[in-house]
This record gives sequence, C-alpha cells and structure tokens, in this order.
Amino acid sequence: MTERRTIEVGAIARVEGEGALHLVLEGDRVVDLRLEIYEPPRFFEALARGRRADELPDLMARICGICPVAYQMSAVHAIEAAWGVAIDPGVRALRRLYYAGEWIESHLLHMMFLAAPDFLGLDDAMQIAQRHRNQVERALRLRKLGNRILILLGGRSVNPVGVRIGGFHRIPTRAELRALADELRPARAEAELLLHWFASLPVPSRPQDVELVSLRHASEYPMNEGRIVSSRGIDVAAAEFETAFEEVQVPHSTALHARNRATGTPYLVGPIARVMGNLDHLSPAAAAAHASLAERFASPDPAASVFARGIEVIQAMDDALAVLDADLPPPAEPQAVPRAGIGHAVTEAPRGILYVSLETDAAGDVQRLRIVPPTSQNQAQIEADLRALAPRILAIPEDEGRRLAEAAIRDYDPCISCATHFLTVTVERREPPCEST
Amino acid sequence: MRVHVIGIGTAHADDAVGLAVADLLAASVLPEDVVVLRCARPLPDLLDALDGADAAVLVDAARTGGAPGSIHRLRPGDLARLRSPSSHGLGVAQALALAVALGRAPARVELVAIEAGQMQSDVLSPAVAASIGAAADAALQIAREMQDGGGEAARDA
Repeated sequence: MTERRTIEVGAIARVEGEGALHLVLEGDRVVDLRLEIYEPPRFFEALARGRRADELPDLMARICGICPVAYQMSAVHAIEAAWGVAIDPGVRALRRLYYAGEWIESHLLHMMFLAAPDFLGLDDAMQIAQRHRNQVERALRLRKLGNRILILLGGRSVNPVGVRIGGFHRIPTRAELRALADELRPARAEAELLLHWFASLPVPSRPQDVELVSLRHASEYPMNEGRIVSSRGIDVAAAEFETAFEEVQVPHSTALHARNRATGTPYLVGPIARVMGNLDHLSPAAAAAHASLAERFASPDPAASVFARGIEVIQAMDDALAVLDADLPPPAEPQAVPRAGIGHAVTEAPRGILYVSLETDAAGDVQRLRIVPPTSQNQAQIEADLRALAPRILAIPEDEGRRLAEAAIRDYDPCISCATHFLTVTVERREPPCEST
Repeated sequence: MRVHVIGIGTAHADDAVGLAVADLLAASVLPEDVVVLRCARPLPDLLDALDGADAAVLVDAARTGGAPGSIHRLRPGDLARLRSPSSHGLGVAQALALAVALGRAPARVELVAIEAGQMQSDVLSPAVAASIGAAADAALQIAREMQDGGGEAARDA
C-alpha cells in the first residue's frame, strides 16, 4: 500500500531560465531529489568552433542577459593568455570598472526584485514598492548606475559590444569618466542604507557544511584575476581548474554537475564564497558592512547571500571609484597577433567563478571552447541544500513548503539559461513500505 | 500635454523593431510636446523613460500568435494575456505596475505591439521591417489622440 502525493508547482519563478525540482519522500526520508534543468542546451561551445577568436567577446555576451560582462571577461582573458597579449594597465583598470558595473546591476536585480519578496512574504517587487517605496527607488537608482557603467564601456547595456581582445573598442573620455565618478560618489552611502534595510528584514538562516571556492588575488578583491582557492585547501591557477574540479553528466539535467575532483563532493561559488575568502581585501566601507553582519558569516550560509551581495555592491562602488579617481592615462592601442595557442581564464561572475578554456589555430580561429558557468558548479550544492531542507518542507503545509524550496534555490541566484548544457517543483510523498508481519 | 513615444527593444532579431520605429520617428518632424525615447530593458530603463511624461505610447515587439509584422493597439491591462519574454518576469507589464506603485506612471499609457516573427538572426524579418512605417504612424496617431484628450486611461486598465 503506497500513498503517493504529487505537488505541481509550475516553473520556479524569479530565476533566470527554466527548470524543475522533483522531490520524492517516503515518510520522513528523502528517497529522490533532482533539480531538473530542461532549458534547452544552447551549444555555444560548438558554434564558436571555426570562428575567429575576435568574434568571441560579442558572441559570449549573448550567453546571458544578466551577466554578459562575465562571459566576455573570461573569454577575452583566455584568448589573451593563448596569444601572450600584454594587458595595458589602463585596460586592466577599465575592465575592473566594467565588471563592477555588472556586479552592481546583477546584485541589485537579485536583492530587490528576486530575493526581497521572499523576506517580506510578498509576491513581487511591485508589492514591495507599495510598502517600501524609498527602498525600491534606492535599488533602482543604484542599479541604474551599474547600467551607466555598462553602457559607457560596452556601448549598450544588453548584449554589450565594447570589448575587444586587448582592450575596448572605444575608450571613454576623461569628461565622461569624471561625470560617472560624480554620480557614483554619493551612491555608496545609498548602498550602505539599502544593506541596512535588508539587515532589518527576517532573512532566514541555513548554515551549510560546504567547501567555498572563489578567486583570490594578492592585493585586491577578486574579479578578473587570481588563483582559484577553497576553504579546504585548493589553491590552483586558472589553467589547473580541470585538475581540481570535474563536471559530470546527470540524466535529469541539461546542465552538467560540477564537483571537487579529489573528493567527489559539491562546492559553493558566488558572493558568500568570495566575501568569506577575501575579507582582508574588502574596502573599508565594505569591511564595516561585513562587521555589522559578522554573525551571518560565522559559517557558510547560502541564505545570507543577500548580505554578501549587499557588501559586494559597496565593494563594487568603491572599486569603480578607485579606478575613476586614479585617472590613468588612456590605454595604448591593443596589439594582439593571432597565433596557435591554448588559454585558460577564470573570472568572478556575479554568481561565482566562470571558467573558460580555449584553443586557437595559427590563424587565430577557435578550435575548441569550454565554458563552465557558476550555476552548473553550484547545482550539486543546491541539491544537497534542498536534501537537508526536505524534512522541513515536509513538516509544513504544501504551499509554504514550495515557497521555502523556491526561496532556497533563489539564494543561489541561479542563472539557468547560462548553465544549460532550471523550476517546477514536484513533491511525491510515499508511505513507507509496509513491514511484513 | 507631453507625450513620450518609447521604443523598447534590443538589437536582437525582431526584438529590435521597437527601436527601429523610435529611430524613424526621431528622424521625422514631430508634433510639439511629443518626445521620442529608446529603451533597452523595461527595468530600469522604462521607468526613467516615463519620467516627465503626461502620457506615453510604448512601441515593442510582441508575440500573440498573429502574423509577423501585424500591429496591435493594446492597453496595459491587455499585457497580462501576453507571455512575458523576460525570464525574470520583469517585462513591460511589470515595469508599468512598478511605475504605478512608485507614482511614476503617466496618467495614460498605450502600446503599439508589433508581432515578431523570428528571434534568431540579427536582422529584422522582412514582414516586420515592412511594418515599421505603419507602426510609427500608429504611435504618432495615438500620441495626437492623447494630446486631443482622447486615449484610454492606463490606471483603469
């Protein structure tokens, strides 16, 4: 005698892309849990093959509407590594500014529009606006600054086209950069106020025993450069990514699952891993924000990711201003000579490390491209998190359980469209098998 | 009455048609107090584009199942029936609802929706490209009706 209860939730809302959660319970026991990604595979790696490497920055920007800069930056750095292109200090600085713009825009989208409704028990940001108008306006103002940066360096905010191998197609004028600095200067305090508001909300807690993986740079908060380090001792260069991590296919998902190659266990990438692994490189204002929330970072807790994002918005503001105030001379015209080569790069997308490996032939055409996005790296950890959460999901009414599962998934800000190669929630409750008497 | 005609879209396939209509209108002779703007993303760009407007005409690509290039005149309330193309659920309907909640929505909003054909290539479908003139005229006609005191109230929709 088996009673089976199925709960259909529909595609999980407020995440990027399409997927489903399938949960089978027998009594209190989780017998099966699968995060199913049915977003169609997109074959970017295959369609890049045979194309000129200089097409990659624009092509890669098309992978994601939210984090195009991350794809552009990992790709362009991989090409430059393959060809031995020296990066002008001015270009290096402007790339940091560009990436900061994407962090600001992506993090604010997640904080106010995707995550905040969960903390307030509301359906969407439109309902938040009716009760907390000042905060929503503040988030919109800050997000617009991120947009401004993207347009200034990328030419446009959606599928930006400003990046080229060795630099940018157009370098902003000093006047444009000064005007941007004037807009950013008062915004940091706004970002601090917004984080204080989030700290006042009933944000849940869900500590995890998980390995944290992020980039780490000798002297700065990681974005475009650094070694891949973990809370459990991994310390490798970008070129050694595949020695430390592996991707495995699972039947229920068009996204690959990544895991620690040596231990076979999941790991967590993203803002929590970055903040906890790079406390010594936070700007004074970001460090102060972290100190005010220190108990939320005592152990890795995906539910605290909204705070990590808020800290990183402050960090990104400070990083952007540091670049703008340095007033570096305009970079020299990029000198990139196509050649046969193999290149690897890891940069910090808003959602976590993004690995690109590629090979070009003597003409500079792409022979091989491999992309490992942050969401596919986090997917096994999301499943582990949900497995631990299942008894709580079971103990509460179905609607609440569904909201709890969805909110837990949203903590990872999964970018399902990017990861395919995400969510209907189905819960099956089976009676435990009868014991023979 | 200041009317903003706002072309919404990206440079991608038939999604670019709203921008193409805005570009054509911006290059033409416009009635007094009609301002043409371009907007890439409903959030946050549309909110900014609505600031200062007494009324707005939005021009955007849409998919309702009709023939590519066909033009629909819609009110905000009609948007609920259309599937949002934004995977985050942050499309035009949501941006307008947020604008109302924030007190930033003009009294009147209407939409000119152009049926999209394909979303694959980087150029407009011929049928969609052929509708740009008619869509621009439709947007201008609605803007004039709004200035003459006609048009539909957005908040009631």
